Amino acid sequence: MTLQALVTAQRRRQRGSLRLASLAGVSAVCAGGALLGLSGWFITGAAVAGATGAVAAFNYLLPSAAIRALAIVRTVARYGERLEGHRAALASLAAIRPAIFTGLVRQAPERALELSTGEAVSRMVGDVDAIETLFIRRSGLWSAAAAAGAGVGLTALAGWPCAAVFAALFAVRVLGALTLAHLAAADGRALQQNEGRLKDRLAATLSASAELAAYDLVEWAVDRATAAGDALGQTRRKQHRAEGRQAAFAAAISGAATVAVLALAAHAPLPLAALAALAAGACLDGASGLTQALLDRAAMREAAGRIDGVLRPEPASTHRPLHAAALAFGAPRGGWIELQPGERLVLLGASGCGKTTLLERMLKLRSEPGWPIRIGGETPGALADAEVRALFAYAPQDAPLLSGTIRENLTLAAAEASEADLWTALRDAALEDRVRRAPMGLDTWVGDAGERLSGGERRRLSLARALLRPAPWLLLDEPTEGLDAETEQTVIERLALRLQRTGQGLILISHRPAPRRLCGRFLDLGGAPVIYRAA
Amino acid sequence: MTAVFSSAAPLPAERRRWLRALSRGGGSAARRAAVFTVLDVAGAVAFAAGLALTLAPAPHLPMGRALGLAVALLGAGARAVFVRLAAGAAGEAAVAVKADLRRRAVRSALLARNGHRPPLGETLAVAADAVEAIDGYVARFAPAQVAAAAAPLLVAAVMALASPIAGLIVALTFIPFIVGMVLAGGAAEREAGRQFEALSRLSTLFADRLRQLPLLLAFQAEAPTTARLTDAAETLAARTLKVLRIAFLSSAVLEFFAALSVALVAVYCGFNLLHLLPFPAPDPLDLRRAVFVLALAPEAYLPLRRLAAAYHDRQQADAAAAALIPATRETAAPSRIRLARAPAIDVDQVTVVYQDEAHPALQAFSLRVEPGECVALMGPTGSGKSTLLDLLLGRVAPTDGVVRIDGLPTTAGAPLAAFTGQAPMVIPGSLRDNIALARRDASLGEVVDAARRAGLLNTPGGLERRINERGGGLSGGERRRLGLARAFLSPSPLILLDEPTANLDAESETLLLPAIAEAIRGRTAVLATHSERVAALADRIVRLDR
Repeated sequence: MTLQALVTAQRRRQRGSLRLASLAGVSAVCAGGALLGLSGWFITGAAVAGATGAVAAFNYLLPSAAIRALAIVRTVARYGERLEGHRAALASLAAIRPAIFTGLVRQAPERALELSTGEAVSRMVGDVDAIETLFIRRSGLWSAAAAAGAGVGLTALAGWPCAAVFAALFAVRVLGALTLAHLAAADGRALQQNEGRLKDRLAATLSASAELAAYDLVEWAVDRATAAGDALGQTRRKQHRAEGRQAAFAAAISGAATVAVLALAAHAPLPLAALAALAAGACLDGASGLTQALLDRAAMREAAGRIDGVLRPEPASTHRPLHAAALAFGAPRGGWIELQPGERLVLLGASGCGKTTLLERMLKLRSEPGWPIRIGGETPGALADAEVRALFAYAPQDAPLLSGTIRENLTLAAAEASEADLWTALRDAALEDRVRRAPMGLDTWVGDAGERLSGGERRRLSLARALLRPAPWLLLDEPTEGLDAETEQTVIERLALRLQRTGQGLILISHRPAPRRLCGRFLDLGGAPVIYRAA
Repeated sequence: MTAVFSSAAPLPAERRRWLRALSRGGGSAARRAAVFTVLDVAGAVAFAAGLALTLAPAPHLPMGRALGLAVALLGAGARAVFVRLAAGAAGEAAVAVKADLRRRAVRSALLARNGHRPPLGETLAVAADAVEAIDGYVARFAPAQVAAAAAPLLVAAVMALASPIAGLIVALTFIPFIVGMVLAGGAAEREAGRQFEALSRLSTLFADRLRQLPLLLAFQAEAPTTARLTDAAETLAARTLKVLRIAFLSSAVLEFFAALSVALVAVYCGFNLLHLLPFPAPDPLDLRRAVFVLALAPEAYLPLRRLAAAYHDRQQADAAAAALIPATRETAAPSRIRLARAPAIDVDQVTVVYQDEAHPALQAFSLRVEPGECVALMGPTGSGKSTLLDLLLGRVAPTDGVVRIDGLPTTAGAPLAAFTGQAPMVIPGSLRDNIALARRDASLGEVVDAARRAGLLNTPGGLERRINERGGGLSGGERRRLGLARAFLSPSPLILLDEPTANLDAESETLLLPAIAEAIRGRTAVLATHSERVAALADRIVRLDR
């Protein structure tokens, strides 16, 4: 999947709106040129008629009615062009954003995870916004063509040299604008990059921590986070200047066209000269549609480059089907430690020896080589992500929580769990009383990444979430860390009962003796040389 | 979204005041932008005069048609120059205003008290998107507003020199124009607020779910998450379209009014020239005057149309203001005190109740720690150990009671401390950069020493190993050691350790105990821990209960 493919699909879906916008754009441009030209013709004709006394022969009713009609057409058409263009654009973006998210999560996890949060957000919000104009200005091409046609036709009324000079200036207008845009293109790229960098820096710095206060790092953090913002400001300033240059160029060319047509229309009847001159100026402005459309195409390539960098194509699936939920781990002195569902194993080894990495490899959150594992007799890499992950309910070591309510965090594991299931899981994680005491109960807001909960509460909520997921194996990484002995005992007793009831197996990492007693078997990862991989 | 506008959303009047103050913040650049925008009128007048002199050369002036063409060309050139200068100055003003706002937003987010921290995505939306949304307001709307107040009347006055009646017609049509803009603005203001809320919600959702991507993958929650994102994205699209519809409609109405007004002037001039007016013309026109007046008539409305076009920028800014006002209201951070010697700690009858919580995290708690004494806090989870450390750091304000460090309440001045929390902060960079945060002027030798004492020296990659934003490259135990290394590096005579040996096995803990004992010697120390062995290092153990 590429951005280009997504955009093409959306264009097809929004075909109706886009066609309507183009039609309206063409009407607006034609009506606008004719309106100004006709007004000039009307005034000049009236003056000539008044001066020569040919008042009776001058038809003033038809032109003044036409002026009103053209004003109405221009207004309605421009409204229609804008509304339909934006309708198509917004509907498309609303579909493209989640599609990019889906593409991102389907990546190999290393690829998805190497992207920082700020970076990913700016891709999905900023870069997608950058392609919005692609849909809105779709009508620009047609409008520009109409403007060129109308301009040539109207100026030709004052003689072919007028039409020729108009056509030439139209071309100059388009080429000049493109050249100016080309000169500013590097700034446009820098703008997107700096926007991404700013969000990246902000995200990395803002996970505000007590250390900022303890070590007096607040101003340091502000500087660090906003340095990219200052760079963004500088590129934005350049962009304003570039926009100013474009506007100045457009104004100069429009003025020049009016003057040139007027100069060449010396021998045409005065009313037609006025018509041609005013129409030339108005129709030249229609060229901005073409310029913009061409520029958007370039911006699209830029955004596509960044987004497609995230959405690298998936390799063709050659996964073998999963036949059994049995697990096996390489034994330190050769051979295999085999586990049937329902069995319990504790992973041992000094801090940093790769226990957590092993769990992540089982979940296919990492694919690097390491300690030998077999799932249903296969290496994890040979199996489909979905089949492997369905086997496990995971409570990670850092007990990550979503910024949401307790309920949202729990239902992540089981979308259709009943209220009673949620409470049972909370009870088994020794968190029920705490949640019942909170005025909002299950709908208590846990704060950004759970910051409103204490360390032990976060851990127990993460445990409750894993307990809710009906998977054959529980993977618990330090489930009782930060708990006092009494709470730890409660958690372990209830976990033992729960495992008996559900028949689930358990892979445990814990350096505390109490939870280890749940497990009948152990694997010492410190028992063999450990291969470290450079980051 | 509970959090987005939770802190007393500012009223429209307050937002208006705030935005006005903001445009003043642009300083001389903003004034220059406004002046250049108004000066555009001079170019327009010259252009119109040039057209008139070309179509109807003045007999008493030299050069005939050529003079007219030259004047018109000069006018067009002048407009081009003024447009360019105005855009440059406006951009400069916007850059200055935004840089200041962004710093304030980031500082507010960093200083947020415990439990009040806005979600990451929301802060991203505020400090990046909302601040950028101010750009159009400062760069386009504010100068356009000044121009709209001055330029139309100027143009009408110049028109009146050629034809008083035409000038009067234009001046009178300003009235419905302005009424229309005010009405449309009010309706759009409300919708724009809802639009920004939807944007913030989408951004918050994106940021949060991406941050916890491994979790979503492990729980196979991709589909429901995508469904929620789709929902949020569609809401944003619908609300944006509502705002745009109002903006387009109002600018269409204004354009229509402008066209009708120009037509009115054209008809007046035409009938005047044809001598068909039903009343004696007070200002008999000739072609030169008529062309001049007609060419200038659209220019009278141009500043208003520009303002109408920039009205969208104002709506965006107004919506952003709703988020920015509370987000830049810097919580008065207590000043940070560098302690010269080991302080005494006096916690006196302190109660802490967090927002939305019925039960206090700490109730009528008192504790006295003598200078150089070490106290271990023990107790079940949720009994308030971390809250007590946050109180000492001034990150939590007591709901009741007072905390004094060397006699000074922490709300007036909070101490710098050697500290390690439950989730030590990780910044992208090397391990050495991460440790050195505790004392940025520390020498390499001092950093190496701290790392050695925390047991971080003999890890693969050493001090130069790279660490990413998600803490990748560090195991849970190593992250704990990083926090300890920082505390060892800090020179502060106050040391606060929150579960210093969590995530470490018994053997690692044993190896670390002497280093911790050495670190607390001679300092006032408070250790929150579940480990009896760590607690045994303290002079005294204080037990908290739930």
